[in-house]
Amino acid sequence: MLSTDIGYIKKEFPKKIKTIGLTLFVVGTALGIIGFLVNPQRASLSYLVTFMFLVSIGIGSLFLVALEYAVGADWSTPFRRISEFLAGIIPFLIILVIPLLLNLKNIFPWTHKSIVDSSVLLRGKTAYLNVPFFIARTIGIFLIWWIFYYFLTRNSRKQDSTKDQYLTKKNIRISSGFIPVFGFSITAIAFDWMMSLEPNWFSTIYGVYYFAGTVLCALAALTLFVILLNEHGYLHSKINSEHYYTLGLLMFAFTVFWAYIAFSQYLLIWYADMPDETIWFMHRWVGPWKVVSLAIVFTHFVFPFFYLLSHSIKLQAKKLKFIAIWILCSHLLDLYWLVMPGMPSNGYQYYFSWTDLVFPIAGVGLLILIFKFLSEKYNLLPIGDPKLQRGLDFHL
Amino acid sequence: MNIDYTKELALVEGNPRLADIDEIITRPLTQPPTRKFYIALSVSVTALLIGAYSLWLTLYYGIGMWGNNVPVGWAFDITNFVFWIGIGHAGTLISAILFLLRQKWRTGIARFAEAMTIFAVMTAGIFPVIHTGRPWLAGYLIPYPNQHLLWPNFVSPLLWDVFAVSTYFTVSLMFWYMGLIPDFAILRDKSVDKIKKTIYSIFSLGWRNSNRHWRHYEKTYMIMAGLATPLVLSVHTIVSFDFAVSLIPGWHETIFPPYFVAGAIYSGFAMVMTVLIIVRKVFDMENIITLNHLERMAKVMLLTSSLVVYAYLMEFFIAWYSQIPAEQYDFWARVVGPYRWGWYFMVSCNFLIPQLIWFKKIRRSVVVLFVISICANIGMWFERFIIIVQSLSRDYLPSSWHMFTPTLVDFGVLTGSFGLFFTLVLLFAKTMPVISIVETKSVLEGAQPTVHGGSDHE
Amino acid sequence: MSENKNLNSIAALFDTPNKIITAARKVKESGYTKFDVNTPYPVHGMDKAMGLGQSKIGYVTLFFGFSGAIFIFLFMGWTMAINYPYIVGGKPLFPFQAFIPITFEVTILCGSIATVVGMLAVFFNLPFLSHPIHDSNYIKEVSNDKFGIVIEAQDPLFERERVIEFLKSLGAEKIEFIYEPEKEEFKILQPKFISFLVLVAALTSLGTFVTLNKLMYVVPFNWMDNQKKSNPQSETNFFYDGYAMRTPVVGTVAKGFMPYAYQGQAQPKVPLANPTLPTKQLLKMGQEKFLTFCSPCHGNYAQGVSRLMGQFPPGPTLHSAKIIGYSDGMIYNIITNGQNAMPSYAYQIPREQRWAIIDYVRVLQRAQNPNPSDFQAIKELKKESGKNAVN
Repeated sequence: MLSTDIGYIKKEFPKKIKTIGLTLFVVGTALGIIGFLVNPQRASLSYLVTFMFLVSIGIGSLFLVALEYAVGADWSTPFRRISEFLAGIIPFLIILVIPLLLNLKNIFPWTHKSIVDSSVLLRGKTAYLNVPFFIARTIGIFLIWWIFYYFLTRNSRKQDSTKDQYLTKKNIRISSGFIPVFGFSITAIAFDWMMSLEPNWFSTIYGVYYFAGTVLCALAALTLFVILLNEHGYLHSKINSEHYYTLGLLMFAFTVFWAYIAFSQYLLIWYADMPDETIWFMHRWVGPWKVVSLAIVFTHFVFPFFYLLSHSIKLQAKKLKFIAIWILCSHLLDLYWLVMPGMPSNGYQYYFSWTDLVFPIAGVGLLILIFKFLSEKYNLLPIGDPKLQRGLDFHL
Repeated sequence: MNIDYTKELALVEGNPRLADIDEIITRPLTQPPTRKFYIALSVSVTALLIGAYSLWLTLYYGIGMWGNNVPVGWAFDITNFVFWIGIGHAGTLISAILFLLRQKWRTGIARFAEAMTIFAVMTAGIFPVIHTGRPWLAGYLIPYPNQHLLWPNFVSPLLWDVFAVSTYFTVSLMFWYMGLIPDFAILRDKSVDKIKKTIYSIFSLGWRNSNRHWRHYEKTYMIMAGLATPLVLSVHTIVSFDFAVSLIPGWHETIFPPYFVAGAIYSGFAMVMTVLIIVRKVFDMENIITLNHLERMAKVMLLTSSLVVYAYLMEFFIAWYSQIPAEQYDFWARVVGPYRWGWYFMVSCNFLIPQLIWFKKIRRSVVVLFVISICANIGMWFERFIIIVQSLSRDYLPSSWHMFTPTLVDFGVLTGSFGLFFTLVLLFAKTMPVISIVETKSVLEGAQPTVHGGSDHE
Repeated sequence: MSENKNLNSIAALFDTPNKIITAARKVKESGYTKFDVNTPYPVHGMDKAMGLGQSKIGYVTLFFGFSGAIFIFLFMGWTMAINYPYIVGGKPLFPFQAFIPITFEVTILCGSIATVVGMLAVFFNLPFLSHPIHDSNYIKEVSNDKFGIVIEAQDPLFERERVIEFLKSLGAEKIEFIYEPEKEEFKILQPKFISFLVLVAALTSLGTFVTLNKLMYVVPFNWMDNQKKSNPQSETNFFYDGYAMRTPVVGTVAKGFMPYAYQGQAQPKVPLANPTLPTKQLLKMGQEKFLTFCSPCHGNYAQGVSRLMGQFPPGPTLHSAKIIGYSDGMIYNIITNGQNAMPSYAYQIPREQRWAIIDYVRVLQRAQNPNPSDFQAIKELKKESGKNAVN
């Protein structure tokens, strides 16, 4: 489809993209199923890490779309569609969560009646931490996300052909409504699926912590995809290093924001030194976890901070691709660090398992497949968007 | 209403010429003060004098003049401190953060907001000093080698506050002054009166609008904005650490840092809105401080109010979830306990009233926005009051519980803080350009060339 | 502006941003180096047109920011772990986590101060109020709404007529000549300067006098010298007798002090038991104290031969059967309470010394009324000392 006034030419993806995606997904899923059969307890936890990673990318990308509409930004309009495609994993979350829902007893200690009955604290929490309410919350939130995803993307895609500005206004309204809902729902997901792994521990900032990692992850995924696609000519010639610079700047800002939230949580718990709070960090300071904790400080904050501080690096596509992949891996490591040390309290001692590697492979494969599928059906640029020209003309 | 999203909203309405901008913005400086001005000034100076007297009573007779007791060792003093520091944050946010986000609409309001930051920080800085009871020993807070061979306690968040607030004041002052240098140069070149010309010459440092200077100036401005952004976030974070590192139920919450920052931005924008609505009316600047500005500020207020409400709900939920009776009680007492009226103020002003901003008609009605902004400040003051006084008066041991009752001196000092702030604001409005002349000129239509000299990355 | 003043530069005014950009580019391309562009606000693209590179001020920020961070971090560590180690709140002596907020703030403080001061003083060379361009019509127009180019006379390619032609060809609205300012001679003895010096001297001395002689005695600068409390030996009208110093209330007992049970009583029901062992050291002390306090009235050997010679009633001999029969506690009671003409010695002789005296008195009593076995013991002691030549 040629759109003469904007200059966007829609290209087909080469066949090998589908092959790569399918291979990764099939291999990963197959090995994952074997993992579940061999040791369901261990596999569920590995699966949980990857699942939270996919949630991050999906809902984080939808948040970026909504944010752009709500604040009226125009520099990101040219590649808003990429975020919309990345958010395409949201409808699948309800299906993807099923293996976890079937294995709740292997993951959460509070699902075991014996453990709950022997603890005064857990008995008090059963109004919130009970299986029916838990499942209802999860399914309900995913459904709500799906509804917002559906309407936001439908309006955006409709605009490609109708160029109706009223659709933008509708999407602004939907986005403004979505953002508060997003705030509370992502907090609930973080509390439910990660914080309750160690049900005697609590932190009011935990939702914000997951949010910071999520947005950073979504930005990194967006940067990676934008640069990859643009280098191969799938996007638009006017998307240039100035756009990349701004994406790099945002990744920098959210790296600092994540570090700020992480440090606040750590400092306050360290300072007050209350045993029921410090235990969570103590679990992450025994044996090999010490190395992982220090590694996270370095990989998630120190290295990206100094790397993205440089003005010239933020203008170079290759360097930004590298740091985007780096940040995505460090976010996965962060999620691993949040989830896995909960194991001892579950009665298991931590050990590294091959299942930990298997599910991310499947996840990446799934993302590639979804992305390819959506980009075949819809344009990679929102060609009907009234802000598109300003976005393409953007310069620093 | 037909909106065209293909065009950006006009930043300055009425399409004035470059030369007009000088005239519009410097007009209040060249005209003699009006009666309205004198009335406003006399009100604020009266408040300031009441505050000065209350302060003298406090310093001469001691902290016993206040209502502080054990366990409520902090009450109005620290409430006011956090309140004023919070108000200061909007200024830096508008001038630094909106600058980094390339939101050009900040030009109309940035200078004023920066000045308000400085005055708010000055007002706030009084409280940590006087609440110690022996403020003449405040010098020991700075780590210098002294005859007692003592160093301050670097582990205490109260000392982090000292560094944070003084850094914030210094950096804001420099940032503000930097922005003023070219404007002082304009005033120097325009003024005829010899005394004024001398003063403006000195303060403009001999600025001559040279482009060789502009390029360093712009880069420095961006660097300062880049430094001021994490600074402003860190200052209120460190203020929140005063509470969050403690063990008091209701204070030891990990969400305090971002919660306080969001609340600070909320109250700061509310105060900026209040003052700007007055200024644009009194000084006829409705074309430069437009309804679009007020609408955008209202949206920021709505956003930050939502963040604050998120934090309230998190606190309540985790207080229940943690199953710690002292925590659960503290939050329950906020709703039904002896200070519940403060909590009702807080919730209605910080949550219910800002919800009106969802409606476009409200966002574009100056009168309603004025009322909302005043309510927001009242609500935020009460939020700090509830956090501090409620949590302190009802902590772990019921036998230690005690009520706090403010004294007249407490109210006097609070009044005085408002008096100081508004006096400084009024004096500022009369002696310096309240809008950055240079920045306004640079965002006019046709102010930037369409011919490429080449694109320059900043 | 007289003709014999030196020409500093020639200035040209333009009225649109587009014109100034093209003009600036052309000036640069023509090879001029000592020229400048003056605009009322920063014009986009002017840096490239003038051939100027990126500003290097960022490096100043980076350097001073990080130096500040490292310095303050190590300084805090030094004060809290090395110079004055002090455990606060159970935290380690080097709590680096607690140092992070201040380190962060100081980084920003040092970075920003260095940047602004560096920008003004080093990059701009400001304050510089006497640049020739000030007070010209040119600068007044440029501040307002015009854009201008200035080509300095110092430029190697400068030639008066050629420059004027060139600037006119670029589309200049107005050409202006900027002259060097007249050199003002500064006479040191002029009345203005003298009066300024006198004023400064007067203010400094007045300020110093007021500070050191008046301000220092006022609250709070008198550092709590005059407090609303009573000092020793002072008067007060709070108490009926005007004394600020009070004796303790009757019956007050010092902490850890056991009052004497028989204070003021002549016959103790159960006299105290002697808690001391009569060691040589104790007896020596007892002897010393006896000679000090008791011998004036009772005599050096407690025989009642007082050296007061009748100026004061002499004390009785302590070798009477009655007194030998007294228990140690009874004698203690007499020393403590006094008896007849003998006053109480409780304030002069501490308790342990009283017991030591009593032990010594017992020695004296034994010396005066020895047992027959005592003689035997003395004989054997003398034999032993005779055996050992060293004694």
